Amino acid sequence: MIGTFEYVRVGSIKEGCEILVAQDKRAVALAGGTDLLVNIRNTGRSPDLLVDFKQVEQMNDLVTDSDAGVKIGACVPLNVIADNRPINERHGALAQAARSIGSYQVRNRATLGGNIANASPAADTAPALLVLGASVNVEGKDGSREIPIDELFTGVKKTSLKQGEVITDIVLPSLGSQVRSAFIKKQRVRGHDLAIINMAACYSPDTGMLRVAIGSCAVTPILLPEVAVSMDEPIDELVKRLNVVAQDAISPIDDIRASAEYRRGLVPVLLHDLIRYVLSPGGGRR
Amino acid sequence: MKLHEITITVNGTRESVSVPAGMTLLELLREKLYLTGPKEGCGAGECGACTVLLDGRPVTSCLVLAVEADGKDVRTIEGEATDGQLSALQRAFIDAGAIQCGFCTPGMVMSARALLERNPHPSDAEITEAISGNLCRCTGYESIIAAVRLAAERGEK
Ligand SMILES: Cc1cc2nc3c(=O)[nH]c(=O)nc-3n(C[C@H](O)[C@H](O)[C@H](O)COP(=O)(O)OP(=O)(O)OC[C@H]3O[C@@H](n4cnc5c(N)ncnc54)[C@H](O)[C@@H]3O)c2cc1C
Ligand code: FES
Ligand code: FES
Repeated sequence: MIGTFEYVRVGSIKEGCEILVAQDKRAVALAGGTDLLVNIRNTGRSPDLLVDFKQVEQMNDLVTDSDAGVKIGACVPLNVIADNRPINERHGALAQAARSIGSYQVRNRATLGGNIANASPAADTAPALLVLGASVNVEGKDGSREIPIDELFTGVKKTSLKQGEVITDIVLPSLGSQVRSAFIKKQRVRGHDLAIINMAACYSPDTGMLRVAIGSCAVTPILLPEVAVSMDEPIDELVKRLNVVAQDAISPIDDIRASAEYRRGLVPVLLHDLIRYVLSPGGGRR
Repeated sequence: MKLHEITITVNGTRESVSVPAGMTLLELLREKLYLTGPKEGCGAGECGACTVLLDGRPVTSCLVLAVEADGKDVRTIEGEATDGQLSALQRAFIDAGAIQCGFCTPGMVMSARALLERNPHPSDAEITEAISGNLCRCTGYESIIAAVRLAAERGEK
């Protein structure tokens, strides 16, 4: 027995939200369970009720349309995202981030909604969603609303979701076919550990703007201010410029994975690899 | 504690059982259905010893609730052999010397099974990726990769 909770499977978002609200803090949403069940097991503390949203049809939809962008149901498993062709082509950073998470077995259960709702500073999809300008559709007892991804994370394991609100889907805006994005991370053991540091970048040749986001280096993943890139600027100069901004924005800590100093030292190294990749013409796939 | 009536198909046989919400699929398989092939190594999704196929996809059954498997199809290592004959995949594990203590093998074979079903001719890199969620403390992995390669060469689907 993993815990002493009760379980209910809901068929609609409305039904699930009503239960969450009625039960107040005693009930929590269950998606793939790869964070929630491990947490219950490790702490020995169970909520009274797990409300399983995985059978809600809308939360399993994945709609890709090059004009309207991409809509990913919160309960879509990470393997489905990692293997999705249009997402790999147009929103590469997210496909790469999804593919980097855990093992194949874990990714068959773990969902995108769960990864961001869990709000770990190390959540791998977060930097990707930040640079891609994603937004999150949520639903609760007061109806639905849209939260820009950079307003979702408010602290370690804390989000701006209200009590009883759930993420229904994640929306990626349509980006031009020239836009290139990528994800990179440093971890101790692939598939068996969270990131020491993770990072994503997105570059639009049309506007010349570059976005970078960094995870595992502060209480939330951090989106750096967008910078204009000129193709004449040597990569090393650009990395130096971005590193100054990044070092100012992050506040890494010493933990079991690495020291704060090591994390700071990794920033320019990862920046270099990532930026060279998104700026190189013909990129988009590793 | 409330019990949930669930029906699952395990290795082709329909089973109706009542389970408490907190019971994992691994516990159901091992302790109620006496299928002790899937093993508990870590209980936390890390080692893959508990890998089974849920609706054809490999999952760590220590992180799936038995109630979540209601209405679904489950395959375990016990479903590999038919009429006492090992599957070609199991045979390849033996021929390649891919088993030492054997603790990881039931999970390893199920990950390999799922790989060969989605990709009958995997590269070594694809084999490595597919079993990266299965830890083995004995073999050093080379012989396991060779076993999956051998099964693919022999046309194991
Ligand atoms: C072995 C292993 C390796 C891992 N490796 C990585 C890794 O490399 N990188 C990484 O980022 N993570 C990793 N994880 C963590 C985890 O797999 C991911 O964070 C996963 O995406 C969580 O999704 P889930 O569907 O399993 O969430 P769950 O565990 O079901 O839920 C997580 C939290 O989010 C809430 N929640 C879930 N869905 C919603 C929703 N739609 N709306 C509102 N709240 C919701 C739940 O109430 C819970 O609090 C790993 C986990 C394991 C077990
Ligand atoms: S026992 Fe399930 S992954 Fe280790
Ligand atoms: S054979 Fe012993 S753990 Fe793999």
